[in-house]
Amino acid sequence: MSCKLVRRHLGAFVDGELDPATQIEFERHLEACPGCQEHLAFEGSFRMQTRDSVGRVQAPEHLWERTLRRLDEIDQAKAEHASWVEVRPMRWRHAWPIAAAAAAILIIGGVVGLPKRSDYQSAGMLQDVVNLHTQALPSDVQGEAPGEVVRYFQGKTPFPVRPAQFEEPSVKLVGARYITVGTRPAAALYYIHNGRRITLLVFQSPDIVRNAQRTHVGGREVYYHDVGGNVVTIRQHGGLSYAFFGDLDRPMLFQLAANARVAY
Amino acid sequence: MPKKERKIAATRRLFEGEVRPHLDALYSTALRLTRSPVDAEDLVQDTLVRAYRFYDRFEAGTNFKAWLLRIQMNAFVNRYRRAARERQVFDGPMAAPVGEGVMSRSTMRGLTDPVGDAQRQIIAREISRAFEELSDDARAMVLLADVEELSYKEIAEVIGCPIGTVMSRLHRARKQLQSSLRHHAVQLGIVDTDEDEVDDPVSLEAFRSRKAVKP
Repeated sequence: MSCKLVRRHLGAFVDGELDPATQIEFERHLEACPGCQEHLAFEGSFRMQTRDSVGRVQAPEHLWERTLRRLDEIDQAKAEHASWVEVRPMRWRHAWPIAAAAAAILIIGGVVGLPKRSDYQSAGMLQDVVNLHTQALPSDVQGEAPGEVVRYFQGKTPFPVRPAQFEEPSVKLVGARYITVGTRPAAALYYIHNGRRITLLVFQSPDIVRNAQRTHVGGREVYYHDVGGNVVTIRQHGGLSYAFFGDLDRPMLFQLAANARVAY
Repeated sequence: MPKKERKIAATRRLFEGEVRPHLDALYSTALRLTRSPVDAEDLVQDTLVRAYRFYDRFEAGTNFKAWLLRIQMNAFVNRYRRAARERQVFDGPMAAPVGEGVMSRSTMRGLTDPVGDAQRQIIAREISRAFEELSDDARAMVLLADVEELSYKEIAEVIGCPIGTVMSRLHRARKQLQSSLRHHAVQLGIVDTDEDEVDDPVSLEAFRSRKAVKP
């Protein structure tokens, strides 16, 4: 066995990755060869120095906390999926038979469908949509008058903003403010439905639906994304995206998105 | 608590218990790969969310850390998409040749037994600097083998390549690290300039087959 051969595979020898017969041959050679012994000593000490130099660093404490919160969201979504399948369709069947059927299909889709990998930019924007709702930033313009909201956004957003109107009379516009989604200017419109908050974000981003899932509810095309177990429903009209998010159950969010009048 | 929720809670406890001991390993690797604490945190969180979603696919009895690192490596490659290009430079025809005996004896001695703590610290810093100059792929090799101490088989699974490729890539990565360190060490005067003895790579297979034909 040559020194050349031993030195070429010294790394694998130190790693204990040679087959037993070759390992023994190596040991025999090393015992008798001071030159290769020096290479071996260097290989070993270099390995240790590398470990010390680029070795472990401690993960920051908040990383674990932050991850646990994400897992909570996943667990919550899992539990909710389960209870919808068992309970929800009953209540829905009573009021809106067609909506109930549509909702059941959507729920089953949500349970068995694997999450699609959306690109990070639109994923970030969707996370923004959820965060903006959660933060509940105060309105800049308040009240139910859509005219005032339209005037408020003039000159602020590069597109005219008209608040969506809903067929359900229980959904009321309560305010609006200027905001950014990702880096894009957006209109945040706040609604209330039976005491629950709904946030509608209007912005220009055709990309947001590129990896979205798509369905039809009441003859209208509704896109939707799963964001950490929450669903964001999206309608598109006139080059604008209307993203709906709220403290509502999933079927209701689809229903609202489908019924919203975004075209005038 | 309904049965379904009890099951979710039990799975969650199991997952947390298994993952927590590997958090530092995931974060360290992510930090060395992305070179940014913010990106590293995102990468680790992304990894753990994926791991949790696919937890039922983990094969009990196999190395959990290696499984997590594989998910993380995939997430890293997907997110940064640089690996394909760099791999070509690292492995392909453009790869710079790496000699076998890149160091003279005196250089090796100087680096094996540094004189005093000061020199030890300088060498540690220089290794760290040399490490930063490596490609994504080479850094991953050194991290998985030398820091996380995975077996070649496990590394092959993490990276998604044959074991033979792990052997040659790891060898190349370590030699690149050593020659970069030598370069810095010579500049700093820790070791003298030395003559390289550049050898042709020697095949272990050739050795085995030569032995096999002997009576």
